[in-house]
Amino acid sequence: MKYFMLLLSFIAITLAPFFGQIPIELYKLDNPTTVDYKLFWDIRLPRVIVAFFAGSILALGGLIFQSLFKNPMGTPYTLGVASGSTLGVAFAVVFGFGSLLSLFGFLGALLTVVILFALTLRLKSYQTNSLLLVGIALAFFYNAALMILFYLSDESQSFEIIRFTMGSVDVIGLNNTIPILLASVGLLLLSWWYQKELKLLLTSNDYAYLKGVEVKRVNTVLLVAVSVAVGVCVSITGPIGFVGLIIPHIVKTIYKKSAEQLMLPIFFYGGVFLVLSDLIARNLGSNSDIPIGIITAFLGGPFFVYLIMRKRN
Amino acid sequence: MLTIKNHNSNILTDISFHLKQHENLIILGSNGAGKSTLAKVLCGITPSNNVTINGKKITQLKTKERTKLINYIPAKLEIFDEYLTLEQYLDLSRLHTLLASKNILKLLELEHLKTKPCQQLSSGEQQLTMLASAVLHNARITIFDEPTANLDPKKSRDVYALLKSKLFQSKIIITHDLNLAYRLGYKILYIKDGKISFFDTSERFFHPSNLDHFFASSVQKVDEYIMVNL
Repeated sequence: MKYFMLLLSFIAITLAPFFGQIPIELYKLDNPTTVDYKLFWDIRLPRVIVAFFAGSILALGGLIFQSLFKNPMGTPYTLGVASGSTLGVAFAVVFGFGSLLSLFGFLGALLTVVILFALTLRLKSYQTNSLLLVGIALAFFYNAALMILFYLSDESQSFEIIRFTMGSVDVIGLNNTIPILLASVGLLLLSWWYQKELKLLLTSNDYAYLKGVEVKRVNTVLLVAVSVAVGVCVSITGPIGFVGLIIPHIVKTIYKKSAEQLMLPIFFYGGVFLVLSDLIARNLGSNSDIPIGIITAFLGGPFFVYLIMRKRN
Repeated sequence: MLTIKNHNSNILTDISFHLKQHENLIILGSNGAGKSTLAKVLCGITPSNNVTINGKKITQLKTKERTKLINYIPAKLEIFDEYLTLEQYLDLSRLHTLLASKNILKLLELEHLKTKPCQQLSSGEQQLTMLASAVLHNARITIFDEPTANLDPKKSRDVYALLKSKLFQSKIIITHDLNLAYRLGYKILYIKDGKISFFDTSERFFHPSNLDHFFASSVQKVDEYIMVNL
């Protein structure tokens, strides 16, 4: 089952860039003057790469947040990091920084992390539940601020913001895939480095402390790393929900291993999930792409409920 | 070796005592008296500058040195991950011992459970798992929070034998089991409403007049056993 899934996923990823509304003819791919060449190398391939690495960041980031907060609901989305990023982008759209969308999205995510940490330091010990509540409150606050921006914006700006919040992995040119690729691989390497600490933190903070983990320091490093990676990701793709929540759960249910052993599968299948979602988004609509966020929620939601029901029985 | 001096918090009032090297201690007290709170202060989970081990403040010890000196076994096993197995859990605890994990698994009759996720173990099995982890951690001082609370009589006796054995260095044992406390014969610390109201030898504590003072008529000494008078 696992090997079959792995094989199928590899085939799906390899074939993904060849499918789309406009058919590509293979023999034209080594000829830079053809439209097919441009379509493949500048549009299709970057798109698949961005989808894969965005998915892997969201899934691995979800796993790490869930482990650190000891809460299956604790993902970068529930903590308001993605909402912060969205707000940054909306701000840029409304106040005329249209060329700096990514930067503002990234700053919004970073600002959220700074706020979360300023508040955490005021909490006596490292109370993960209070931080989660702060994150939820923050997301509400951001939503209200976003509504103000909608109110201030004209029609075309509103449309731009709405399209951003629906999510898209549309990136043109291979060079533009480099930031998300670096963020993704960086996060994977860092979580590998902290594998032992993560395993101890999967029991309880007290146990990890007694076995010699500097709980506060490790938590801080990993939370900041995930937030930066998610910030990079959201600023490029917009907020794509559900991946961080469901992929870790699905992979855990299938592999039945402790979370720190599943970092690579979760990283991989997070990527596969978004590549497939994007493939559907690109090929389903007859004359335009369906936003990818809608596909992930449509696919992920029911499957997630199915898994939970199956577990109960 | 272990000293706490004038410690005060919401729950604890003016706690001071000293434990010499190789000395063991039993902490008694009614529910909610502050026993576990005190244990968490002593092992550093609740940081306090009033605790010194080997002449160094616990808050200033290097992490590795601290793990060598003190360990705490809580009353309940707390594990977030659904699939972390007993064997993996024990591996994480194997810090300062040369003992092989499988020997301790055999000793506590846990071998057949080693690939089972900790969350699926019964509370008694979880209790034994934590005791096994204490052996493998092998700290100079180990604090046990109610080590026999969930065990059947035979297992309780096994744990008593384990606590008596040379597998542990110094022990601090929090318990409600007066018979266990009496049998072990270690020094007794009695906490009432967050204050130390007794700190002396076992013989003095288990003197009939003293038992009446602490437990009214609910506890009796019959022959060489401490019984709860139901």
